[in-house]
Amino acid sequence: MFHWLEKNPFFFSVGVFVVIAFAGLVEILPNFAEASRPVVGLKPYTVLELAGKEVYKKDACIACHSQLIRPFKSETDRYGQVSLSGEYAYDRPFLWGSKRTGPDLHRVGNYRTTDWHENHMWDPKSVVPQSIMPAYKHMFTNIADIETAYAEAVTVKNVFATPYGDEFKGTRAAWEAHKPKVLADAKLITADMKNKDVKDAVEAGNIPEIVALIAYMNRLK
Amino acid sequence: MQSNAALEYDYSVAKLFTYTTILFGFLGMLIGTLIAAQMAFPELNYMLGEYGTFSRLRPVHTNTVVFGFTLSGVFATFYYVGQRVLKVSMAESKFLMFMGKFHFWLYFVGALLATVSLLLGYSQSKEYAQYEWPIDIVIVLIWVSWGVSLFGLIGIRREKTLYISMWYYIATFLGIAMLYLFNNMSVPTYFATEGLGNIMHSVSMYSGTNDALVQWWYGHNAVAFGFTVPIVAMVYYFLPKESGQAIYSYKLSLLSFWGLMFVYLWAGSHHLLYSTVPDWMQTMGSVFSIVLILPSWGSAINMLLTMKGEWNQLTENPLIKFMVLASTFYMLSTLEGPIQAIKSVNAIAHFTDWIPGHVHDGVLGWVVFMIMAALFHMAPRMFKREIYSKSLIEKQFWLQTTAVVLYFTSMWIAGITQGMMWRAVDEYGNLMYSFIDTVAVLQPYYAIRALSGVLYLTGFLMFAYNMIKTMTASRELTQEPQFRSPMA
Amino acid sequence: MNALMIKGLIFAAVLIGATVAVVSSMNIDLSDPINMITMIGAVAIAGLSVGVSIKYINQMKTDTATGELVDHNWDGIGEYKNELPSGWAFSFLGTLIWAIWYMLAGYPVNAFSQIGQYNEEVLAHQEKFEAKHKNADAATLQQMGESIFLVQCAPCHGETGDGLSGKAQDFATRESKEQILDVIANGSNQLKYPMGAMPGGMASGADAEAIADYIVGGMKGEAPASYGVCAGCHGADGAGNGGTAPNIADYDDVLVHNVLENGKKGVIGIMPSFKGRFTPVQEKALTTYLHSLEN
Ligand code: HEC
Ligand code: HEC
Ligand code: HEC
Ligand code: HEM
Ligand code: HEM
Ligand SMILES: [Ca+2]
Ligand SMILES: [Ca+2]
Ligand SMILES: [Cu+2]
Repeated sequence: MFHWLEKNPFFFSVGVFVVIAFAGLVEILPNFAEASRPVVGLKPYTVLELAGKEVYKKDACIACHSQLIRPFKSETDRYGQVSLSGEYAYDRPFLWGSKRTGPDLHRVGNYRTTDWHENHMWDPKSVVPQSIMPAYKHMFTNIADIETAYAEAVTVKNVFATPYGDEFKGTRAAWEAHKPKVLADAKLITADMKNKDVKDAVEAGNIPEIVALIAYMNRLK
Repeated sequence: MQSNAALEYDYSVAKLFTYTTILFGFLGMLIGTLIAAQMAFPELNYMLGEYGTFSRLRPVHTNTVVFGFTLSGVFATFYYVGQRVLKVSMAESKFLMFMGKFHFWLYFVGALLATVSLLLGYSQSKEYAQYEWPIDIVIVLIWVSWGVSLFGLIGIRREKTLYISMWYYIATFLGIAMLYLFNNMSVPTYFATEGLGNIMHSVSMYSGTNDALVQWWYGHNAVAFGFTVPIVAMVYYFLPKESGQAIYSYKLSLLSFWGLMFVYLWAGSHHLLYSTVPDWMQTMGSVFSIVLILPSWGSAINMLLTMKGEWNQLTENPLIKFMVLASTFYMLSTLEGPIQAIKSVNAIAHFTDWIPGHVHDGVLGWVVFMIMAALFHMAPRMFKREIYSKSLIEKQFWLQTTAVVLYFTSMWIAGITQGMMWRAVDEYGNLMYSFIDTVAVLQPYYAIRALSGVLYLTGFLMFAYNMIKTMTASRELTQEPQFRSPMA
Repeated sequence: MNALMIKGLIFAAVLIGATVAVVSSMNIDLSDPINMITMIGAVAIAGLSVGVSIKYINQMKTDTATGELVDHNWDGIGEYKNELPSGWAFSFLGTLIWAIWYMLAGYPVNAFSQIGQYNEEVLAHQEKFEAKHKNADAATLQQMGESIFLVQCAPCHGETGDGLSGKAQDFATRESKEQILDVIANGSNQLKYPMGAMPGGMASGADAEAIADYIVGGMKGEAPASYGVCAGCHGADGAGNGGTAPNIADYDDVLVHNVLENGKKGVIGIMPSFKGRFTPVQEKALTTYLHSLEN
């Protein structure tokens, strides 16, 4: 039979395909409907938080940080409660990571604060002298792309039924109407920050990446 | 048995991919060495502004070596091996010639765009699938063009029975096609709204735990169909060809192939042990990882047994040395991986440097060694010149072997130490080490790894120099060598 | 055994030896089951990879290739019709049988729960440590406190508790003048003392300065007259009237508990809440340790 297959590339390929496709069906599909159900009380990310998540993706913090607290006492002592499937229901993509060069961040919002992040992202060594994390000073001047974040919110609302309010519509007018809300969220963050340029930028209606990132970090609880 | 009496094979596409293998290999490993150095000496993060931090460069490293270097090597060897074991020349079909060149240029332009997009920060943040949707589409087109070449060449073949290497190339094609498509499914936000925001941005079709499942079904098997299957295709051709020995056992190749195809796909959940993925899937991932040792070792053993009685070739021919050592590193990583997939071991290993250690004994010891040996073997046939310098290959071999050993031993110790420190409690039951303690102890190992990067990169530069000299300045050959590659 | 095999196994042994040596120098307990299984795994990887691959490489020296060739070749490459190497074949069959047994009978895939395992781990831990340290003495508490502090608090307060040049509370003194002036001016309402909120603006100007100097100075000597308004709540000695308002002279159990419970936002910055993350013993240990930092 195998000799026969080796002379018939078409059936050979079909054979290979069936053999390799099989496992995916058995292992992935059964769980699909269930695993994406949110835990009770889970809120979708605000637009500012989404913009911060985008900064997290853009600068690939996932290269060093995980967001998955495994069920070991040593991890729950260090980072807090074990991570649950339903907590990730609105994470597209998931950001569990596969390498902890730095600590886990899934609940960092519980034990680090705005001003700490401000110091840390500007110069990690100023708070953790032996840190090997790079400084991200450019986040204090680069402006976050909140329009794209808004577009993401609308997309996941329409395509995946993520529970955003009725005001989230894909039109430019709806976006212009929502923008002040994002700025207001940003001001809540800058109220606890010290950097003058960042505060000024937000006053002028531009949200530096660091503000969005901190909003996202604070949300991780 | 005459092999290629009448046929003149056309190597123009294989040559083009050979050039990009060298180019992307150099770039990828240069960046690899830089990021390794950044972990030991963080000041190195600030050489290129926001584009030079470890985190921006790490995905550039992985994608350049995977989609740049390794894929180029796979394509280069395919366009070489394919013609020869199917006994057809690309020159026999204008269409296939065109497809081959189209495939290359689309690939080259795509690779440049892809690299720039990552540096600019466009990323889906899914490992080995970072590229945003427009680049994904280009990648799909590249893949389809390769498929056309692959099956086109098979379609006009003279040799009716597919050689073992072809089984593996076909599997590479099908496997990556299926995996890549499913894992990269996403919705572009620009088109889901009235054109709001950045056109490059998209959101994943899957969320949370589901996304993780799809990602590591992909990620694990991208390793399978990128770093294993096509490299096995190479070793099955180049080792017997270079040595003139017949394959030890057809039966063993057969069982290893179908065993590998069947078992590999089940093991993906070993990347998700102790996560929120259901327990039964994790258990299956662990169990199948152990089973996977055998079909993996099957190919390696077949190769080692093919060299039975040929010790003199091993000592005299550096290309044989590369391929034999590659096979043993393949054995090492396909035993190390399964053991890291045991849940209790993974509790320590996951998230630590032991994983990059495992990765690099596979990629540096197996993938790169095999690809370099393949290109060295192809060069005298493609460029009709002998290999420029044998002694340079010998030196390169020892330099790079030392480098791999330094890499995986340092990361092995670093990873196990860090994993155990994270769990350690003091006499009062409280965590013994703060996180930064567990980072600070690793500094010497990171420095050793950076050194190993420098050594390995130097070895690769010796390879590149040797290849370029072979192409341009070496003694010309009048006749194609049958087995052993001539070298000065 | 031949020379190559011996060299290979020495390499494996050196690697394992180095791993054990490094890990032991970090005071790791290798009798912990997870650590032990990991070390066994490491030995298996190093030993088997080296041993098996060198076994085959040795055959290149000693054996010769034989067998019947298939009557076909590809670009000059032949294939022998040799049987499967029996070691390989039996191992493959063995792992397959083992896998099926494991998933269906041995440890049925649906019978394991990692959360159950976690709960057991926590329980075992509590049994081992909680009871033992329930009535720890001061020296033990201080050491325990230090170890918790270094893991949980040092990223903000610094390893020495100096507050990293003004980024968080400096534990060398109770509060700084700046902090006290800020509370006097703005009041405070976040620590959930029985007395509730402290109103702002009860003193100002030179009065406020005098109070602040007095408190920062360790409340020694004559209290300024204006301190009277504070004494009503914080007591003449500043100790907080038995825990109804904060002790402003010194760190005490109640203050540390309330700060950990509620977090604290002040002129320096924001301290997060650690609610639910420490046991009473651990909190006491932290207080004891903070005491030891004061000068
Ligand atoms: C080169 C590796 C590296 C990269 C890249 C990196 N970090 Fe870190 N990170 C670390 C290390 C190491 C620590 C622990 C030492 C410290 O706190 O600085 C850390 C700590 C942190 C902490 C504190 C968490 C805690 O529990 O103390 C936060 C928050 C953080 N990083 C956020 C980020 C963000 C956001 C990014 C991306 C923009 C990022 N990191 C990129 C290595 C990295
Ligand atoms: C009405 C009662 C009352 C009076 C009068 C009062 N305090 Fe307080 N004080 C409190 C309470 C209650 C708190 C805790 C507030 C909180 O929960 O944040 C407090 C907090 C403080 C703190 C902050 C302690 C810390 O560690 O956060 C300082 C400093 C302080 N008081 C100083 C003073 C001074 C100086 C005066 C006099 C000008 C004064 N208080 C008058 C009730 C009072
Ligand atoms: C994310 C940063 C952060 C962490 C982590 C942190 N603190 Fe703080 N802590 C602060 C800051 C900032 C202040 C100063 C607040 C102010 O008064 O402005 C502070 C103040 C304090 C105070 C003084 C409160 C007062 O009223 O004077 C105590 C006590 C304290 N921290 C204890 C701890 C202990 C114990 C831990 C660890 C279990 C800890 N902190 C962890 C940031 C932190
Ligand atoms: C000079 C040689 C190389 C050096 C110094 C090097 C260095 C590195 C470093 C420092 C990392 C990051 C590890 C971490 O985050 O802890 C890494 C990751 C990686 N490298 Fe390399 N690398 C080299 C060559 C290669 C090659 C040739 C390949 C593939 C063919 C490769 C594939 C990878 C992969 C897949 C990862 C990701 C591993 C993971 O996420 O676990 N590397 N490399
Ligand atoms: C029998 C075969 C193998 C098995 C069972 C296996 C198993 C594993 C396991 C358990 C992990 C760690 C997952 C984690 O905890 O994060 C891993 C990671 C990895 N392995 Fe293997 N491995 C095998 C062979 C190989 C080979 C041959 C290569 C490369 C040539 C390779 C490349 C990788 C890479 C790149 C990663 C990192 C994935 C990431 O980014 O997290 N593996 N493997
Ligand atoms: Ca990874
Ligand atoms: Ca992608
Ligand atoms: Cu894997």
